[in-house]
Amino acid sequence: MFELFGTVFEVFMRTYPGFLEATVVTLQLTAIGVILGTLIGLVFALMKISGSKILQWIANVYITVIRGTPLIVQIMFLYFGIVEIYTMSNFWAGAIALGVHNGAYIAEIFRGAIQGVDPGQREASMSLGMNRKQTMQRIVFPQALRRSIPPLGNQFIITLKDSSLVYIIGVSEIFSLANREAAQSFQPFESFLVVALYYLVLVMIFTYLLRWYENRLDVDKT
Amino acid sequence: MIIGENIHKSFGDLEVLKGVDLHVQPQEVVVLVGVSGSGKSTLLRCFNFLEMINEGSITIDGKKVDPKKDNLTKIRAEVGMVFQHFNLFPHKTVLENVIEAPLTVKKMNKEKAKKLGLELLEKVGLSDKADVYPSKLSGGQKQRVAIARSLAMEPKVMLFDEPTSALDPELVGEVLQVMKQLAEEGMTMVVVTHEMKFAKEVADRIIMIDQGTIIESADPENFFGNPQHERTRQFIQLVE
Repeated sequence: MFELFGTVFEVFMRTYPGFLEATVVTLQLTAIGVILGTLIGLVFALMKISGSKILQWIANVYITVIRGTPLIVQIMFLYFGIVEIYTMSNFWAGAIALGVHNGAYIAEIFRGAIQGVDPGQREASMSLGMNRKQTMQRIVFPQALRRSIPPLGNQFIITLKDSSLVYIIGVSEIFSLANREAAQSFQPFESFLVVALYYLVLVMIFTYLLRWYENRLDVDKT
Repeated sequence: MIIGENIHKSFGDLEVLKGVDLHVQPQEVVVLVGVSGSGKSTLLRCFNFLEMINEGSITIDGKKVDPKKDNLTKIRAEVGMVFQHFNLFPHKTVLENVIEAPLTVKKMNKEKAKKLGLELLEKVGLSDKADVYPSKLSGGQKQRVAIARSLAMEPKVMLFDEPTSALDPELVGEVLQVMKQLAEEGMTMVVVTHEMKFAKEVADRIIMIDQGTIIESADPENFFGNPQHERTRQFIQLVE
């Protein structure tokens, strides 16, 4: 037991400079994945509630395809697909894949949040003479956004962990570093234990931050 | 002020309004009563086009409304509506609730809107609550804010859809007081309510709706003293 602890500690001390660098890459991937996903999700959520049959159909196809296929397949598909047309770094290919993937899930988060706003809010707004656009922008959407924050936070945590899959196209984030370390040092168990700890600590930090932010939002409003 | 002629409204197979005629004169206070499901709330909602009628016509302030052609947004701005569940905007302060429509619909400048908002809050006795969020208010206070919010658009007529039904009994009075004051100032009002005392004191006319048609229309004295229809008699017995 003590021996194991000793070797894990030894691996940790040897690898932490590399891991800190890789952590930055993981966080960048996550941030871009979530921000891009939020923009894509917003567009598709609006398409879904637009009332236009064609736009709804397009949104449904996108969401069904993305949710119906594994992320790792999407990463490979996008990587080789994009590189065919346009040269870009592995990092950006991976980040865009994460964004496209998240877009489908975040679209559903926004759609649910928009439709979850009390219909009375829309009625009150309309009864005051506000048109559909004003009602959406000023009354429904701000409330929907607030409702989306907890599930978006959840999606952020999922993305943080899912970003490990872009190791498959050779992006130097923390999982790929652990993978390399495991192969080179012949200490796979210790290496993966260390990387698990990195993920766990990151997830705990963000869970705490998100909860703090949600609580702060609850004060006074709603 | 409002003329409804031969109004029919169905939800699917269910016919809720079966040919209602109702003329509301300027400055008149009309109280609509009836058992739940009789169609009185639906009629009210038709008057500001939250529900679209299937047949008949609605004329507001001398203008016959064609829901297909006319700008309903504009018409709704002239018809104030107060809801049973207040429907205040939870993400805005009390004052922001009141001035939201003047700012976005009328494009009023902020200073002027604020002044108007504070005046209206003063009128409903809530100027000290201007900067708090609705979640901090009691039901009665929320409803008074909702009334102020509606008045901010300077409507020609105010519709009240069971404005006190969601309130604790001790909070009903403060809302009715504000409504009474409005009536005295000459506001045209159509009120759906179960508050018979209010109907007796404030209404010019009480209308009984039963199964989608108007079966009784009389001033309070005759309505309560000399009801013509058997169903009205039963109803009065039930509520008194």
